[in-house]
Amino acid sequence: MRRMIFAFATGILLATAPAALAQTVGFAEAIKILSASCGKDIETYCKSATLANNGIGKCLDQNQAKVSQKCNADRAVVVTLIQERLAAQAAAPKICQRDAAQYCKGVKPGAGHVLRCLLKAQPSVGKKCNTAIDLAGYR
Amino acid sequence: MKKYLLAGLSAAFVAVTVSGVSAQTKLSRNEIINSLQGAQQEVDVSADELQKAAFENIQKYPGANAPANLPLWDKLASLRQFNVEITFDLNSARIKPESYETVGLIADALHTPYLQGQTFFIVGHTDATGPRDYNLELSIKRAQSVREALVTTFQVPGEYLQAVGLGEEQLRDPAKPDSGINRRVQLINVGYR
Repeated sequence: MRRMIFAFATGILLATAPAALAQTVGFAEAIKILSASCGKDIETYCKSATLANNGIGKCLDQNQAKVSQKCNADRAVVVTLIQERLAAQAAAPKICQRDAAQYCKGVKPGAGHVLRCLLKAQPSVGKKCNTAIDLAGYR
Repeated sequence: MKKYLLAGLSAAFVAVTVSGVSAQTKLSRNEIINSLQGAQQEVDVSADELQKAAFENIQKYPGANAPANLPLWDKLASLRQFNVEITFDLNSARIKPESYETVGLIADALHTPYLQGQTFFIVGHTDATGPRDYNLELSIKRAQSVREALVTTFQVPGEYLQAVGLGEEQLRDPAKPDSGINRRVQLINVGYR
């Protein structure tokens, strides 16, 4: 079982390495993996480390030899997943710029008005923008 | 080959999702968004003023328990807000791993266009057990700890997040001052600043 999970984790890393992503997950989903896979190690070896400023990551790094194999594999995945979601969210407004100009002309920017409009206009909105919205977790 | 990897990928996600649902309450990102979005009013209360009011409240009304609402509270009470429970180590600002997901959900909500560009107070509260000044200091550290995690680990822009600790000065249920219901982190949307 352990080997299987490791294989999945490696699969995620390999599959998500290229720029074109198939899927991203939210920050809660991502960090939940850290609690699940590393929770015990964190409470054993990182009692004075905090989630902020990568404190937990650094501590687990320092204790790499003692930390469970599953934790060592999965914590790298967590970092990647967070980075991917951040990148997808940064990219979405640019990718959707043209669709927004076309289908959401009079919409006042801010407070999610443009996103709401694009979601409503989904059937007309281009595939690239719709995918960008999915990857950003904005649907 | 690619197909094979993707199959592994979705299997991993499914496994994670399923195990998570059973362990956690049903707090969702959209619940947080719905409670926080739609800032209308302008509020002329700064985080510093609110923090100062809590310290003054202890000086002005010393004693085991705080009197009624903080003077500035009326201005904030009607704003868009949401209470979450985040667990910390005893007498510490260290967030427990069991609450990482909750902090992640807050990040998920704050990173959506619905809430971007608006400023939020992250307000830490304790129950009334223990000395008031100690509780006040602890709640400040805990609010800062949540803010730090959001800003660094989840890269929520720091200029929009302000940490305030109110200790036991603003209980959620004044009739039960020692109840756990008072221990909470409150997010308040103070609008576009």
